[in-house]
Amino acid sequence: MSRRASSLRRAISKPEFSIFLIFVAMLIVTALLQKNFFETKSVVRNINAFAPIILVTMGQAVVIISGGIDLSAGTAVSLITCVLTTVMKKADPVSGVWALLAALAVALMMGVINGIGIGYLRIPPVIVTFATSFMWLGSALFLRPTPGGEAVDWFYVFYNVGSMQGVSEGLKAFTAIFPPALFLILIGCALWYLLSRMRIGRYIYAVGSNSDSAYESGIDTARVQTAACMINSVFLFLAALFFVGQSQSGDARLGDPLTLRAIAAAVVGGIALTGGRGSVYFALVGALILSLVNKIIFFANISYAYQTLVGGVIVIVAIAASQAYTLYNRRIIAGDGVTLS
Amino acid sequence: MSERTNTVKVLEARGVKKNFGGVVALSNGNLECEQGRITGLLGANGSGKSTISKIIAGVYRPDAGEIRLHGKPVHYRNPNEARQDGIAMVYQNLSLVADLTVWQNIVLGGEDSRGPFLDNRSAKERARQIVDQLLPGLDIRKTIYELAPGQMQIVEIAKAIFAQPKLLILDEPTAALEKAQVKSLFDTMRKLVAGGVAIVFTSHRLWEVLEICDDVTIFRNGENVGNIDFARDGKDAAKIVSHITGEEMKARARKRRQIAQGEPTMRIRNLRYGELLKDVSFELRKGEILGVGGLAGQGQRELLLALAGSYPGSTGDVEVAGRAVRLTRPSTAIRNSLLLVPGNREQEGLFLKHSLFTNIVFPKLGLSRQPLFTPRNRYAEECRTIVSTLSIRTSGLDAPVRTLSGGNQQKVVVGKWLTFETNVLLLADPAKGVDVGAKRDLYDYILRQVHEGRMSVILYASDNEELVDYCDRLLIMYEGEIVATLEGSEINEDAIVAASMRVSRSAHEASS
Repeated sequence: MSRRASSLRRAISKPEFSIFLIFVAMLIVTALLQKNFFETKSVVRNINAFAPIILVTMGQAVVIISGGIDLSAGTAVSLITCVLTTVMKKADPVSGVWALLAALAVALMMGVINGIGIGYLRIPPVIVTFATSFMWLGSALFLRPTPGGEAVDWFYVFYNVGSMQGVSEGLKAFTAIFPPALFLILIGCALWYLLSRMRIGRYIYAVGSNSDSAYESGIDTARVQTAACMINSVFLFLAALFFVGQSQSGDARLGDPLTLRAIAAAVVGGIALTGGRGSVYFALVGALILSLVNKIIFFANISYAYQTLVGGVIVIVAIAASQAYTLYNRRIIAGDGVTLS
Repeated sequence: MSERTNTVKVLEARGVKKNFGGVVALSNGNLECEQGRITGLLGANGSGKSTISKIIAGVYRPDAGEIRLHGKPVHYRNPNEARQDGIAMVYQNLSLVADLTVWQNIVLGGEDSRGPFLDNRSAKERARQIVDQLLPGLDIRKTIYELAPGQMQIVEIAKAIFAQPKLLILDEPTAALEKAQVKSLFDTMRKLVAGGVAIVFTSHRLWEVLEICDDVTIFRNGENVGNIDFARDGKDAAKIVSHITGEEMKARARKRRQIAQGEPTMRIRNLRYGELLKDVSFELRKGEILGVGGLAGQGQRELLLALAGSYPGSTGDVEVAGRAVRLTRPSTAIRNSLLLVPGNREQEGLFLKHSLFTNIVFPKLGLSRQPLFTPRNRYAEECRTIVSTLSIRTSGLDAPVRTLSGGNQQKVVVGKWLTFETNVLLLADPAKGVDVGAKRDLYDYILRQVHEGRMSVILYASDNEELVDYCDRLLIMYEGEIVATLEGSEINEDAIVAASMRVSRSAHEASS
């Protein structure tokens, strides 16, 4: 086999390739169903609709790659929106800055608490984060028993710059094409790009793949796991900014549906639940796939109960398909004597 | 010793003790190593070699005792601190991360940075330099899970060398290597030693130790029982073995080869599995030990796994005792009395965290008819018999298998089948990383069973010596095919190597 052909085969056999194919297929189906799918307006609307799940999925992907899982992601987003809207006073624009700082601090602290439970106390991640999800929920309900609160005007910068006063027409036109949500996602991508080129990025993969080997190689595994949880926190913080920018209020139950959908999206995007394998960027694609699936179900015009049911089935089918594809290809690649484990 | 007055003691470990949950792993460990010398660390499985190595490398903390590096006492809390002091270790079970590439593994834990970012270019270059010495042609961009076991071992060694250690501990680095690879490892070790590195080298192969080491320290039952300086005391293999086993060396237990004329117990025709097995056909006669050999990773392991029903996708005609059988599930294989002793005991053979009792009883519970309530006492009695038959060293039936030494773990894997009716025992490298004494126990037991006509055996061993000693007939595999069959007096190490490397290709194609 020629060198080029074999590198092509390698590229095709990567799980990412199948994910990309599924994404393209979904895109085509959605475009057929929605006539104006590629118009700027509906593209912007879709970006806004998909942004929260994309951000939460990317954060979740980092934690899963490090060998953990975060069942508290949804309630963490809720708590951050409650902190933001409690600290902010609509009349005082400066309070927005304090709110940002306070919310970021709370977010990182949630990451640290999860990280200590997982890394230092060695409690299984599922248990730690399931427990902390109630801590976050309780705190959020304490701050905001019912949805509400207030936000400073300039928080629209995280959702729709057009509704702010005193903004130039040019900027308005620009954000009508490139919405703030897109920039939140790009900030997330840039953050992971930088991290993945540092030690911590490599170590997150190493610890997730085999924490004993990582430890024997001199890596402080507990610290790496904590760092992964804190990186996740930053993504959750970005998602919360989007929500508050959109609704100008906080809600203690707003993030609940995000958790499991983000885990499903990450797996659809090729993140192995066993840790150590997958790409955060393809987790983003996984989130897009899942969001498009929801759209397609919506267009199929079936009742909400069926939408939910079918949505669940599709997640399982998608995960099974992508895993079967990966297994099949690994068997071919592993031809020189390594069997699957 | 006037010529050695100016040597530098790199490592001194004195009176090191370590217990694991009641099992004494190390009662009085002493080890010294000097700059520019290779010290062999010998002993049976469970004698404490790996334990003292891991204590020195900072993985475990000793319960008592003193470790000095260059004369200064050290107390490492983790492997990183040991690494900072110039101690690198090649782990018996490898410290590789399967999802990272070769070069990423080699630099793992010691990455260079330029500013805040990783310096990947220099990392790749340095990794390539080291790999080229050990195994030219290995693509450093490959992911670890794509590699064969021997290649993984090389990467593990490269990783330790990358750390530029002053003290290099090699814990059984050669068990998964072919002879040529061992040679190039030795060349590299000699270069390191010439550059002033001190090396601790562990191996179960005596010829390796005799060839490469300057002196040896021998452990038995958690303490060291002998130090032999080759320059001073000479190389006396018998003396070393008697130190290891604690008894006088017995002659190599070569089995009288018999060409079994019995009828075939099993017939395999056109067994295929993807790229791994291509059209394998052979017969296994009753009371025969059939060897499977060849270079590492030519499909031998896969052949045994396929026969054990581990590959649902495999195709081919299999006949056991005259009946056609479809071996697509492990349970069918077991019901037809094809029992596998897998090579990778930790992943495929044992529940490490569970007790000895559970491990031995488990296949019974799953596969044969059981009374509604498990007769615990009767099974415990059977377990005790198995433990004494195979002389498994354990603190009790409730001890987690994890706490047993490697050789004893392997005995448990064999032991769990003892209460079964065996037609064919499939042994996939059963003595890998098992010491001389335990290996002899194991094979003695199997030979006895075969002689009593109770079973036939298919044996794959990475060590040709085992094949020569125990096989009646030997199949040589190459790239998933059987390329030669050796019988009777044809079975010797030279013939195996020649056939494995396909020295006279056309002759073998005619014979197969």
